[in-house]
Amino acid sequence: MNITDKDLKKAFRKQEIPNPSDTAKNTAVQNAVKEFVQLNKENTKKTKGFPEFIRRMGKTFQNLINSKGEPIMTRKQFATIGVVVITFGLFLSIGPEFLFQKTQEPIKTITKKEDLSVAKNEQNKLKPTESDHKKMNDQLAPTPQPFESKTIADSTKEIIQPEPGKHLTVSKEGNKNKRGIATGEPLATAPLAEFQFDAEDAGVRAREAAARSTVVASAHSGAPQEVFEKSAFNSVGLGHGESPPTPYYKDKGRDQFSEITPNAIKLTRDEPVSTFSVDVDTASYAFMRRQLNNGLLPQKDAVRVEELINYFDYDYPLPQAETEPFKPTVALYPTPWNTNTKLLHIGIKGYDIVPEKKPRSNLVFLLDVSGSMNSPDKLPLLKNSFSMLVESLNPDDSVAIVVYAGASGTVLEPTQVKEKSKILASLDKLKAGGSTAGGEGIRLAYSLAEMNYDENAVNRVILATDGDFNVGITNTNELKSFIERKRSTGIFLSVIGFGQGNYNDALMQTLAQNGNGNAAYIDNLNEARKVLVDEAGSTLFTIAGDVKIQIEFNPAKIYDYRLIGYETRMLKREDFKNDKVDAGDVGSGHSITAIYEITPVESPEKRIDELRYQQKTEKPKADTSKEYAFLKIRYKLPGEEKSRLITTPITSQEAFNNLEEVPSDMRFASAVAAFGQLLRNDPHTGDLTYDDIIELAEPARGRDQFGYRTEFLNLVRLAKTAKAM
Amino acid sequence: MENCTETELINKARSGDGRAFAALADLHYMTVYRYAFRWCSSKEDAEDITQEVFLKLAGKIHLFSNHSRFTTWLYRITANCAKDYARKNSRWKKNKGTDISENETIASLNPGPENNVIARNILKLIDKLPDKQKEAVLLVFAEGMSHKEAAKIIGCAETTISWRIFQAKRQLNKVLS
Repeated sequence: MNITDKDLKKAFRKQEIPNPSDTAKNTAVQNAVKEFVQLNKENTKKTKGFPEFIRRMGKTFQNLINSKGEPIMTRKQFATIGVVVITFGLFLSIGPEFLFQKTQEPIKTITKKEDLSVAKNEQNKLKPTESDHKKMNDQLAPTPQPFESKTIADSTKEIIQPEPGKHLTVSKEGNKNKRGIATGEPLATAPLAEFQFDAEDAGVRAREAAARSTVVASAHSGAPQEVFEKSAFNSVGLGHGESPPTPYYKDKGRDQFSEITPNAIKLTRDEPVSTFSVDVDTASYAFMRRQLNNGLLPQKDAVRVEELINYFDYDYPLPQAETEPFKPTVALYPTPWNTNTKLLHIGIKGYDIVPEKKPRSNLVFLLDVSGSMNSPDKLPLLKNSFSMLVESLNPDDSVAIVVYAGASGTVLEPTQVKEKSKILASLDKLKAGGSTAGGEGIRLAYSLAEMNYDENAVNRVILATDGDFNVGITNTNELKSFIERKRSTGIFLSVIGFGQGNYNDALMQTLAQNGNGNAAYIDNLNEARKVLVDEAGSTLFTIAGDVKIQIEFNPAKIYDYRLIGYETRMLKREDFKNDKVDAGDVGSGHSITAIYEITPVESPEKRIDELRYQQKTEKPKADTSKEYAFLKIRYKLPGEEKSRLITTPITSQEAFNNLEEVPSDMRFASAVAAFGQLLRNDPHTGDLTYDDIIELAEPARGRDQFGYRTEFLNLVRLAKTAKAM
Repeated sequence: MENCTETELINKARSGDGRAFAALADLHYMTVYRYAFRWCSSKEDAEDITQEVFLKLAGKIHLFSNHSRFTTWLYRITANCAKDYARKNSRWKKNKGTDISENETIASLNPGPENNVIARNILKLIDKLPDKQKEAVLLVFAEGMSHKEAAKIIGCAETTISWRIFQAKRQLNKVLS
């Protein structure tokens, strides 16, 4: 017998792979996350030493036992192997390996095996006693202590203790310290507190997601419900009943989506104008991806085609100046799924504030550390949130920290973010408590901002509190005028609220308004990221707001049209010019794509029959007869109330006769558009199959620097075999 | 995390973000599991192997600078874990006294009316191939990779992959004739 490649492929194809049980999957992910968190918390890893490998092997084996509930190998076997491994490891650790060990005492030298148990006890002592941390640790298997070894005698080592709610991150420089010497730079730690703070927000986050992407929890039966309810993230590091931190679109197995009726084909003569808002998220893509990776087809209404298309970055040419912050790129080319129609492809690229030109940030954190800040949703959350913000800053940005109500005063002089670890360490040391005696909190904060003032930078004081405003100026009016005066010197104020019970929304809003800043409320880490990282960026670097698109089609050239996607973003024709009607904002460098499927007038097959009783279209104005359509974009420059207009005609100059000639980005986008429609079973894609989409998209991947487009292809393949819900 | 791309997730995980790590694990679970299953042909074993892969990932995630290195690593580690597991378990299974013959395992998973006997036999034999040949065969024929891609994962020359596949086929032919 002669076995061929084909035989081999066939054999594997025929192999039925049973799905893993949900418990296995959940346990696996849970345990991995625990391990990850534990490893990051311990910060024992500076070098990839052999002892470290052994320690983790040991833990791996332990976890294998724990998770299955039955031994993979007998205890005796495990113990034997353990002893062998430990002895071997000890032998190696005496060598010139260095491991950094956070302890409450100076680092000791251990050369004997019996000292291992001493090390273990010390490790146990280190475990934070706060209840939240304890919960986490109780669930983790006790870990054998990494070997403490000789260190280079260095009495200037700064030893950092783990504290509850701590969130430190290793800076790049820290990583490079291969010799594991404690140089006072804090090491990587998982944001443990994060897990529990996200706990309460199941409802909040679902609502947030709903607000953002117009999705509401709904019911459906069958497997997907189980998948989500037994979410792998349940109880990670938490006790019962707390909801999991999920990275993707979160739901509890009762997905409900606003029903989307795909845009109908519109006759140009009846409705020549199409208007919509460029408010685009990418949540739909992530949700779809998650479903497909689980072998399921996403619910029809969960698929918003414009979000799929806009998930990818397209290389449209950039606009040149921030005063006209959009550059539209237009093309007309044959529709991949219909020989009688064409695709009108509109790409809009926003002005990219070149990183060198991004204004520097000169920030002062003015933080409330009074006793009332002591609950988990206040100071610990604040510390995590601001650490996140620091992480997102550039090395030449600067941060200073002032506290009030407690150990009032300057915690950190203005420090450049390139000394990130120093800033993070200061944040970490903050403790709630102490008297509520004022102190010159706010004056101090502003004077630090002034000290570091840079007229080309964004100079800002960020006040964070749960409602106590005893910042040194007791009279509210006096406080307001103070802030106003400072505003005119170019230093702005933002106010962030935490916690509840003490929250003073009115005052916060007033102060922020007077300070030319924003007021926000942070209830969980996700919101913190949104406010202090994502939106901080776009508040500083939004290039245009309330962006609307309107297209008028020329009935002499285009018979009918259909906008693919954007069903939930449509605007009325008169909304375009109405500056009071809200639309989406565009951040620096974003691109937006919209695709219409149009039937040219000369097409032999029309999707809608011509009218019998009415005259054919009137003659268009002479000088516009060559145009297919006219594109208008309205937007507001940051800070302006009145919108501005950009227009461009769409002519045959932008037309391609062959699909092959079309730039790969556009071809790829059309493949994604096709995919979205196919997933939704939209009636317009004719005979198009998933294979056709793969054929279209594969050669159009381009550079695909991060592999997103390749991932897309895999999703299309998965869709072929996914089960419908 | 809703709008994170995989690379962003990797970067976040590398700086210690537990949720990002969880997302990554979730994202890749099936890929790893399926590949593990190809190695061991047992659901339970594949589940265990997959768990171990992700445990290892917990410690190694900081190594990855980009997505392709990450998937390359996943495949490599899964194969290693599978091989380790096989070695450990053959001892254990013997101790347990249950003789789960490979015949039964594979047959029970192809219960359909179209039991392709030859296909089953092929799979059974592939399972018994030496690890190096088996890995090459699995990557190229089960995972659909090119010789080049498989070589990158295993860390050998492309021609080595071709050679190992040739050897594998030769072995299979010998047994089946």
